[in-house]
Amino acid sequence: MNFALTEEQEFFKKTIADTVDRIVTPKAREIDEKDEFPWEVWRDFTKLGYIGLRYPEEIGGMNADKVMCMIFYEEIARGSVGFAQSVIMNILMGTYFIFRFGSEEIKKRCLYPAMRGEKIATMCFTEDQSGSDLGATRTRAVRDGDGWRINGTKMWITNGPICDFCTVLATLDPQKGLKGLNFFLVEKGTPGFSTGQIINKLGCRGTVTGELVFDDVWVPYENFLGEELGKGVYYVGDILDEVRLMTGAMALGIARGAYAEALEFARKRIAFGQPIGNFQLMREKFAEMDTLLNTARLMVYYGAWLLEKGMESRVVAAEAKMYATEACLKVVDELTRIYGANAFAYEYTPQRYFRDARFLLYGGGTHEVLRDFIGRTIIGRL
Amino acid sequence: MPNDILVIVEYKDGGVRKVSLELLSRAKEMTSESSSTLYAGIIGYDVKGIVETVQAFADKVISVDSAVLKDYRWDTYVSAAEQLVRKFNPSMIFGGSTVTGKDLFPRLAARLKTAIISDAVGIEWDNGGPRIRKPLYGGKIISWLTCKEGVVPVITFRPNSFAITNRSLNGEVIEESLEIVPDSRFSTLNIERGGMQKVDLQESDFIICGGRGMKGPENFQILEEIADIMKGRVAASRAVVDSKWRDYDDQVGKSGKTVSPKVYVGCGVSGALHHTMGMDTSKVIVAVNSDPNAPIFSYADYGVVGDLFEILPVLRDELIKAKKEI
Amino acid sequence: MNIIVFVKQVADTEARILIKSDQKALEIENKYNLNFFDEFAVEEAIRIKEKLKDGQVTVCTYGPKRALEALRTAIAMGADRAVLLDNTGLEADDPLIVARILAAFASQDGFDLILCGRQAIDDENANVGPMAAEFLGIPHVSAVVNLEVVDGQGVKVESEVEGGKQIIEVTLPALLSAQKGLNTPRVPLITGVMKAMKAAIPTVDPTSLGIPKEEIGPDASKVVTLSYEPPQQRPPVKIIEGQTPAEKVRNLIKVLKEESKVL
Repeated sequence: MNFALTEEQEFFKKTIADTVDRIVTPKAREIDEKDEFPWEVWRDFTKLGYIGLRYPEEIGGMNADKVMCMIFYEEIARGSVGFAQSVIMNILMGTYFIFRFGSEEIKKRCLYPAMRGEKIATMCFTEDQSGSDLGATRTRAVRDGDGWRINGTKMWITNGPICDFCTVLATLDPQKGLKGLNFFLVEKGTPGFSTGQIINKLGCRGTVTGELVFDDVWVPYENFLGEELGKGVYYVGDILDEVRLMTGAMALGIARGAYAEALEFARKRIAFGQPIGNFQLMREKFAEMDTLLNTARLMVYYGAWLLEKGMESRVVAAEAKMYATEACLKVVDELTRIYGANAFAYEYTPQRYFRDARFLLYGGGTHEVLRDFIGRTIIGRL
Repeated sequence: MPNDILVIVEYKDGGVRKVSLELLSRAKEMTSESSSTLYAGIIGYDVKGIVETVQAFADKVISVDSAVLKDYRWDTYVSAAEQLVRKFNPSMIFGGSTVTGKDLFPRLAARLKTAIISDAVGIEWDNGGPRIRKPLYGGKIISWLTCKEGVVPVITFRPNSFAITNRSLNGEVIEESLEIVPDSRFSTLNIERGGMQKVDLQESDFIICGGRGMKGPENFQILEEIADIMKGRVAASRAVVDSKWRDYDDQVGKSGKTVSPKVYVGCGVSGALHHTMGMDTSKVIVAVNSDPNAPIFSYADYGVVGDLFEILPVLRDELIKAKKEI
Repeated sequence: MNIIVFVKQVADTEARILIKSDQKALEIENKYNLNFFDEFAVEEAIRIKEKLKDGQVTVCTYGPKRALEALRTAIAMGADRAVLLDNTGLEADDPLIVARILAAFASQDGFDLILCGRQAIDDENANVGPMAAEFLGIPHVSAVVNLEVVDGQGVKVESEVEGGKQIIEVTLPALLSAQKGLNTPRVPLITGVMKAMKAAIPTVDPTSLGIPKEEIGPDASKVVTLSYEPPQQRPPVKIIEGQTPAEKVRNLIKVLKEESKVL
């Protein structure tokens, strides 16, 4: 067994933490308060090349292993979740299907510019009546001449209102449920493709999240992203663990930011003539938070290690996402207690962590769905 | 073996710099304790006035007065200082940890192949040798250092480390004419000095520092007024300098200047660690901030909670009154 | 143009530092960075190289194995190569010795220009640069805020002097120490990070540089640390009370006069 990061991974962690603290962290408050897409931060950050984190070096990527990916997600979320969410959408789900199935033409048009931060990508699963239940997807694609005609409305789309292209989950046959699902590329400017309402979110502000409308949108045949029709749900399965672990890593990042804030406060804040960190009940909180953080970290990185080795990771990834997010919620909760009443004021940072943490409850599977899945998998079909 | 001390004197605008008078004062106490001689070394051109001032502070004042030494250059000054050390054999050489000092003394120590201890804040005799106090890690740690026996160290001290005591000594003047050849590999094309009237930030007894709470560059005017009343300087936090409200020259903190004035007043300065590390050795720290939880209050002796823009005008007026009373 | 940059890995300003119970040693939290001022030196070296479209930037430190990380940071920024002068078993923290070792390396490796930071933020010494220049017998300029290479033979620099700035022309080889304001250090690109991760950084034994071991060993230091102590704690802050701003100010002036006697 070896729990240490390699010297390379350590250096990567240090560098990405430093990069985030130079470019992102100082803007976190502004990003949250304005709740507008931070174009300037986006340009400063994406020009460094990190959007290519997962992709091969030949196309300008970094070919990072899964542990390094987690390091990246964790650090950037520590800086600003609102910014991290937009970036990670470009890195992972927003470009995954294009990289895997897109023609060279499509890659030139979408993937490579997205890797340079010049185009903004997104992925659309959720609809107003379907989230975790993908089989209930109502957005419909039908063959039409040399291509496809798409109709439907997607909700809760990260980067949606500002995206340059999106990978849309649509059904070819609602009767087939999960087996009718397929992915299609739709680019900005395509007739019938428009953005709808922007969601005013509790947290993760700065990421623009909203509705995408497909009204008789026609795309050419090659915009079908897959090898075989009807396999969409399997492709989702191929990336699901990575998405869940990524969400866990983001939770870890928020929790670490909150924890650092709590620690600094407990060391400096004087009450009853001494730093509050001297009080036993404060110490208990740090013992608890540190244990939560370490456990969450072990799970997320263990999951990433399994994934990297190509070993079975489905249950661990689900557990890691769920555990890290719950741990994060607990840590931000403790921060708001340690910090006292000022945690309740918009002027100070704790409330932002408090709001941001809740964002992670939903993406990558609600914890109710995950718990059910984990239990079902363990007990098996009886 | 006598424990003579040589202080290399700095001066500007025709006057001896405060830091040099502080060093002479402390060195005199030390040479008195050890029945040794205090030498003051004055290197420059047309330094008669400086020599006269320094006579009151040292047993012997060595004047190296030459046209070639008109403006400070490390090559000529190191050469002069080196020759003085070799001729007068002090047991220690003192200098100020100033912009000039940081340029001159390391080079001098290397030339003499001797130890240098820089940025010290205190010194005392301990079993016949010096015991030197030097802060590390932005003041988080205080170290006590000494030198091996027989080593003649160059020691530089932060301004405001010692009190000035004028003993009216009327020290003997020794005029040295030395052979000094400037290094031909570099030449100074131009020297531009701005803000000549102002005290050096690090030497200032009174510093009023503006932070982000000052809300804009235009509001620093009142700080300037207060600094003028107190014959002190306005400083700024990193946030302020990064926002380009003030010059980097004014920045106090880890990435700026380390100061220890008699009075430091922080106005709208939150008290981030990187700032407090540059000022927490100040004798008295006053914090004015509207946020009663600002970390600066953990470093301050006195805190005033309230609106800066209500407090500062009153402070200015009251300081004018207080100054008149003295 | 061959440029050598002397750097130092220093404890992060936020790192916790504890004094061991014998008061003779420090325990420093494992958070280290490339020294703040050294970043300006590394950046400037890379800019000179980029501008001249020729030359090599070598970054060098005298320090422990962990300092490899700081060297990697410099490579990620764009330095061509790095060398660790491994102080394991030597560990003399005496500027005289450090400068001598760095100078010996530079002289063996060859250079046209040496850059370094104005000072390290841990000891705030500002000694090693000028001292190394003295050992190498080359001119130096401290606290450089602007730098221009003149026809490859010399540099024209603007540097800080007491109360102002000066412009100096220096013939190469020379050593320049970088002050904040010289440039804005770049954030490394992913390609630089990858290069740095893979870089094999050679480790050089300082005793192989032609200096007798007894002159750089742990006992060679002319400076001896007697002890460490924590700084004196300030008493808790006294909040000045008053009904109005004016009353608060008057009460403040009163304590400054009567209690702390600084007015």
